[in-house]
Amino acid sequence: MKISIEWLRDYVDINESPEKLKEDLSMAGLLVEGLTEIHGNAVLEVEVTSNRPDCLSQIGVAREVAALYRRPLRLPPVQEQLWISQERVPYDVEINDPDLCPRYVAVVIDGITVGPSPQWMQRRLEAAGMRPLNNVVDITNYVLIEMGHPLHAFDFDVLRRGKIVVARALQGDVMRTLDGVDRTLDGEMLMINDGEGPVAIAGVMGGLHSEISTSTSRVLIESAYFQPASIRRTSKKLGLSTEASYRFERGADWDNTIRAAARACRLIEELAGGRIAGSIKDVYPGRKDPVRILLHRRNVSALLGVEVAAEFIESTLQRLDFRLEKKGEDAWQVTCPTYRADMELEADLIEEVARFYGYQNIPVTLPPSKTPGVHSPVYVIENRVRDILAGQGYSEAVNLSFASDADHTEFTPLEGERVAVSNPLTEDTRFMRTTVTPGLLRSARRNFNYGQRRVWLFEIGKVYAAGPDAIPVEHTTLGVLGTGSVAERNWISPAESYTYFHLKGTLSALFQGLRIDSFGFEPTDRVAWLNPADATLITIGEEAVGVCGSLAPAIEEKYKLKQPVYVAEIDFERISHHAFPPVQYRSLPKYPAVERDISIVVSRELPYKKICEGIRGLGISELLELELVDVYEGDKIPPGKVSLSLRLKFLDRERTLTVDRVQGFIDTVTSYLINNHNAGLRSI
Amino acid sequence: MPATPGVAVFGVPRTPVSGYEVVRMNESIDTLRQEFEQDFAAISDMETWKSVRDRYLARDSGVITTALKKLRDIPKEDRPAFGQAMNRLRTFVEERLQEKFAAVRDADLASKLQKTDVTRPGFPISLGAVHPIKQLQKEIEQIFVSMGFQVFDLPEIEKDYYNFEALNMPRNHPARDAQDTFYFDQTNLLRTHCSAVQVHSMEAMKPPIRAISTGKVYRRDPFDATHSPMFYQVDVIVVEEGITMGDLKGMLDAFLKRLFGPGTLMRLRPGFFPFVEPGAEVDISCIFCSGRGCAKCKQSGWIEILGAGMVHPKVLRMSNIDDSRYSGFAWGMGIDRVAILKYGVDDIRLFFDNDLRFLRQF
Repeated sequence: MKISIEWLRDYVDINESPEKLKEDLSMAGLLVEGLTEIHGNAVLEVEVTSNRPDCLSQIGVAREVAALYRRPLRLPPVQEQLWISQERVPYDVEINDPDLCPRYVAVVIDGITVGPSPQWMQRRLEAAGMRPLNNVVDITNYVLIEMGHPLHAFDFDVLRRGKIVVARALQGDVMRTLDGVDRTLDGEMLMINDGEGPVAIAGVMGGLHSEISTSTSRVLIESAYFQPASIRRTSKKLGLSTEASYRFERGADWDNTIRAAARACRLIEELAGGRIAGSIKDVYPGRKDPVRILLHRRNVSALLGVEVAAEFIESTLQRLDFRLEKKGEDAWQVTCPTYRADMELEADLIEEVARFYGYQNIPVTLPPSKTPGVHSPVYVIENRVRDILAGQGYSEAVNLSFASDADHTEFTPLEGERVAVSNPLTEDTRFMRTTVTPGLLRSARRNFNYGQRRVWLFEIGKVYAAGPDAIPVEHTTLGVLGTGSVAERNWISPAESYTYFHLKGTLSALFQGLRIDSFGFEPTDRVAWLNPADATLITIGEEAVGVCGSLAPAIEEKYKLKQPVYVAEIDFERISHHAFPPVQYRSLPKYPAVERDISIVVSRELPYKKICEGIRGLGISELLELELVDVYEGDKIPPGKVSLSLRLKFLDRERTLTVDRVQGFIDTVTSYLINNHNAGLRSI
Repeated sequence: MPATPGVAVFGVPRTPVSGYEVVRMNESIDTLRQEFEQDFAAISDMETWKSVRDRYLARDSGVITTALKKLRDIPKEDRPAFGQAMNRLRTFVEERLQEKFAAVRDADLASKLQKTDVTRPGFPISLGAVHPIKQLQKEIEQIFVSMGFQVFDLPEIEKDYYNFEALNMPRNHPARDAQDTFYFDQTNLLRTHCSAVQVHSMEAMKPPIRAISTGKVYRRDPFDATHSPMFYQVDVIVVEEGITMGDLKGMLDAFLKRLFGPGTLMRLRPGFFPFVEPGAEVDISCIFCSGRGCAKCKQSGWIEILGAGMVHPKVLRMSNIDDSRYSGFAWGMGIDRVAILKYGVDDIRLFFDNDLRFLRQF
């Protein structure tokens, strides 16, 4: 709201510089965002919060200034004589829906000459950010800015039955508003009708038909109070916010209706040659009383944490127009001004006291802690995962939670239907993401475009799906992406490309870091967006917890990745359930372990996992570890075969292992491999 | 030479070989001696010297030691002759190796002392970067946990009730204007702040309550340099007996000094948030100019950082907290905003671009 300091001086003396005024008002709760100059006059840019519609006017701000500096407030003169003996123009006001319109004040003025308003008024309107139109409209706007009460002027001769009927619209009715737009109405919108049909959307905008024109000679001035929620609903529904609707939806002053109408009458008589043609009509079916609140001094002190003197409380509230009636020692029955739409509870009054006491004068205290600090268990695991992955060289990505249609059709999740936002920003952000992979791929490509080909990323974030009864549900997922080289180019070791097995190594280390040891990797054909060559289901025990692999070639091409990209997507909540089982320490062995290597030649079709499980199933309790240390495929062995070098580590916790016993284990293992997997032995 | 079992060294397999087989394989001790001579000639440094020594003399698996250990496996009549010859060979081998040792040791020392160009780069171990907002999120959580708060992990998809109504923002309340909201339907929406922690914590616990929640929040703002439809917030609530606005100031002061540094000043101005009364806007002394006034703080010396206030009695009542007995305070702060301020980031979109050149700066 633009508040002209020159205009403020009509109502209160101001000796302070604009900068000082700006600072003082801001510290008292009326935030002045900026200071500009219009027509050589300083204008305050006041950000009025939605609870203080009373400050959406020059007088409203003047009241704050007067209270702040303890100076008298001068209110403008209003027309005294609103009831006349000689009724020249008969008219009538009916309210059919008093729930939405508790009060409607109207007055008819005739003999008007529509023309430009005087320079001083035009300049003030411009300073307030309004465009001058003609004297009648300008006067209603002037009163709006001055007093904060929205008025509307109808061309009385256009009202077909010479009366005003306030009622809800007929569903589907159409009315053309002042801005030339045809508005389709619904049955909940409050309208001003002339007995034949709608002439204005109550509290929002007038109809084009009853607009004031140069030929207008009689006007009906409306000064009403509409129910805030109703105006807001209509304004939202129509996508139409006006100076009037903005104030009505925040709460106008029902007790200011006659004064505002009278002020307009006086100005019209002065500036447009009009005269009141019929007594003012005040239809007031929804009588409202001022809000009364019981205020205890001890509650002021208890909430603010400082003793506030009774005298201070009384003088502060009185300067703000509150009426105080003493109720016993240190308590008051407080009657609030009708323009203070924000007053409801004792705490509201305490805030008034506090802001004039000065927040800066409230002492700083630190309450002793009565509760233990507790981390969220989920965050603890999240932070561990973050540290493990960052420690391995992966950087953390954060992508927006929205997804396009293509994201969903190309990366169909294993479970769940997607959910759509009913009011998306763009078509590309219509859905909630069901996977973090597309975001990671876009991030990778963005880095490629900057010339960074070694991109290792992870993201921990929510994905979303339709839950039971189509209620959207969310759960946390972990995405990992790796592509490029294993290390940055260096002079020590030759370049090595990131492969599936680097991703698998990363994930294995992650599980180890969470003390999960029952994880496994199984080939799968259930994930269409992964390359069937290495598409993998990640399991913990029997439970599938995620997928990994390289991208399906079609997707790789669509994203123009130009190099193999490996991704994993893991259900974070499922792995959380398995993370950090209790630790039971095992005493360290007293005897050394013995390592032996064997090399075997087996069919390429035989999964390594089968060999491991077979060897582990042989019942050699001394077998501590089994590692794959070399793989060879090529000329030196028959086609279709692969040579594997296994390292076996044996340990007897009770005694030193003899060479012969170890040889016995090796013999058991080799004969198993030969007999069960048709293995050939190399260099034993 | 790496001690790899199963791999042939100098033409003879290393792994357990019985003395008898050694004799059979070499037929005569002379052959063994010749083999040793060949191996000996190939000694070039300490490593090869040690492997030759171990191959012949190692206590458990050396060719000669093993042969001597297994003397009883050969026919009794051959034992003395074979034993003596083997012992001679052992002495011979020991002497030869001893002679060579000095030279090998000197060479080894020389090679150890050869200058390394320590100015060459080390092996590139690349650490990943933790996202700057997540770093702050973690830091903030730790500060609060140290002050006795419980961290709540709350859903991003929230009910209208928890996001608005129970926070004294009924439907058609103009305060909702400031938080343009993404809806799924009449009831479910993307939370516009983390303030639902107030309601959830009051439903989950009895006072004394100290709770925070952090995470993504959503508002229907177009994506540009200063707006994002998704950003991060932390919301804080305390409900105890006798909590005052002075306590709010004290806790804020402690928190802001931890987050922005001990020299940080703070000021409260009256402000409006429907779920607090009295409400406050909180400024900190400008971190760019230490409060002297600069372009970043529009010469005011202050930067607006968060909104706070005493929990509104209606909010307490809606969550079945007796507002005549308990009072509390709450505040909410944008974590992205803190990151923008602390790091001088000029475009909020950078936080969601995942450009490694950006992420690695934190």
